[in-house]
Amino acid sequence: MNSTPFNVGSRVVEDVAVIYPQGYLNNLAGEGLVAECGRYTQSGIRKIVVNFRETDLINSIGISLLLHIMEELQTAGGTLCFTDMSKVQLGIFEMLGLTKYFRFFPDENGALQFLNAAGE
Amino acid sequence: MPLHGIPAKDYLNREDELSYLRRLAGLRREDLASNVLLVGARGVGKTELLKQLFQSLFWEVQEVVPFYYSFKTAALKSTTFAKDYFTRFVKQYVAFSRKEPLYIDNVSMPLQRLMPVISSLGLDWMIDSISEFQENTDHGDLYGQMLSAISAPVNAAMRGGRPVLVMLDDFTASEDLHEAKRGDAPGLTSLFEESMKNSLCPHIITGSPAAKLEAIFSDPSLHKGTERMRLSPLPEDTALSLFASLLEKMNITCDRDAALELVRRLRGNPLYLRNMAKAASKMRKKTLGVRDLAECYSHEIMDGETAFYWSSVFAESIRDKGLRRTVLGLIMHQLVKGKADGRERLSKVLGVREAELGAALDVLELNDLGQNGDPVIGDFMHSLYMKEIEGKTAGEIREQVETKYSSPRDSSVFEMVIPMSEQAELVAARAVDQIGKNINLEPEVMNYLQLAIVECCINAIEHSGSYEKKIYLKFAASPQRLEIMIESPGRYFSPDSLEEDSPEKKMESGRKRGWGFTLMRKIMDEVKVERVHDRTRVTLVKKITKSEVRK
Repeated sequence: MNSTPFNVGSRVVEDVAVIYPQGYLNNLAGEGLVAECGRYTQSGIRKIVVNFRETDLINSIGISLLLHIMEELQTAGGTLCFTDMSKVQLGIFEMLGLTKYFRFFPDENGALQFLNAAGE
Repeated sequence: MPLHGIPAKDYLNREDELSYLRRLAGLRREDLASNVLLVGARGVGKTELLKQLFQSLFWEVQEVVPFYYSFKTAALKSTTFAKDYFTRFVKQYVAFSRKEPLYIDNVSMPLQRLMPVISSLGLDWMIDSISEFQENTDHGDLYGQMLSAISAPVNAAMRGGRPVLVMLDDFTASEDLHEAKRGDAPGLTSLFEESMKNSLCPHIITGSPAAKLEAIFSDPSLHKGTERMRLSPLPEDTALSLFASLLEKMNITCDRDAALELVRRLRGNPLYLRNMAKAASKMRKKTLGVRDLAECYSHEIMDGETAFYWSSVFAESIRDKGLRRTVLGLIMHQLVKGKADGRERLSKVLGVREAELGAALDVLELNDLGQNGDPVIGDFMHSLYMKEIEGKTAGEIREQVETKYSSPRDSSVFEMVIPMSEQAELVAARAVDQIGKNINLEPEVMNYLQLAIVECCINAIEHSGSYEKKIYLKFAASPQRLEIMIESPGRYFSPDSLEEDSPEKKMESGRKRGWGFTLMRKIMDEVKVERVHDRTRVTLVKKITKSEVRK
């Protein structure tokens, strides 16, 4: 765990927003992530990929905020995908019985392919 | 009260001694046994053995009358003692004859009120004895009173036709019998000599300190016709059974290995075992692990009944403050060195004159205060030393004792304090990272542990509400186990309030928070929440398996 200061980057790939949370995903960072997702959904994007490859640690508040993002997106008729999670991060979702509520992909391409196929 | 012993079914591992003492009156009459000097360490159960013997004879036997007297509670002015001894004997005799314990328990009932009962029992000789005792009292005949009191059991045995088994507890206090003030009539104890010689009236005598009791019986008049019975500590398995049964009565469960370690430390001493079980109950423990037992133990040797017991012995043995400091210094020196130095060297090391040192050594020897391999006395003395000589606070002493007994021998202990501030939990997580590396934990395992501690710290920050914005952490790591204690002052969050909803329920509700304790419980092998003094303590335990260690 490096716990670099939280930062969030993002890019748009066609009609998909890909978000890169970096560092420690806690309450403050989670709110930044929620804001970033909100920015895209407000602009009409309904497909979001969160790539965790640069995320060090997700605490329980971070998880609750991810649930919040998922709920918001579902309400808007969108889809949320998670990619590049470490074994431990995935393990945390399993421990909490939350894997059935999210779509997990080993990498970003897999998620993008899934979302493109779903949009066709 | 001799009939107020523990239930016979809970009295363990003294069957041989009890059986022999039950037969003592018969054997003595046949000249096959002597009076018994019952010796053993403090707390080993000498008094309890006498009580069990009394109970057993009282309810199950007709032909031997039991009489129990404790000098501990006795007034030692000779006239008062004589009246007390005589009155208790009469009451116990009448109670035994009628199988009615009420007469024993009713201490204040005057003998005159018993006359009709005594008469109805046909004990006319007892009425004569009472009159004789009263006459001696009326005439102010001190020795007459003492003799008629002490010889009352012998008279009863001879005139009543049934032997009387006399049990004298805390007999060492009889040395303080006096006429008007302490020390004015040495040798009153020897008045028991005649009574002890009578074969119809075997005596069982016990008391503490052992050295003082032995000294009394070094007098040839008492020594002759007396055999020793040494009461040993309970063997390990019996001590463990006793401890477990005591805890069971209080609905407390205990880790077996931790209990065994404690039992070994307490050297099978029933007094300590009972006190520890009571301490666990007082501290409202429900399950006892290594740390809980360490907490109960520190309580016991600092504030509990064991501490009270040894404080009384210590205070009674040493009244002079200067000597008390010397004795404490001496004990600590012996504890640290683990062997005795010569007087000259000790005098230099402790900075006291040889005469004072001699007095201190005598106090230790005569009052069972030398540790004799008893770690409880050692720990009690050490805590007293830290308090009185080093000026440490109760919290510091408690901490030291608990650390001594709660950390595995091959463990490393780290402590840290973090502020309740933004991302401070990451500092704790960093510590786990390094500790995990020290014991070669797999990185994945370490990451889970980091998450558990992060969750615990967040919880403390969110719920404490204390002005003292600090979290106290302690890590004890060994190759087999990692224990993390996280303490936060302020509001207590009870474990009952920690029930977290299922994911399904959470997903349906608006509240998505509250996963912290679920995560901790999934990651760790044990999660315990408790109130300790003014702090909430969460203890996280991870038992480390081979697969979790890097090859």
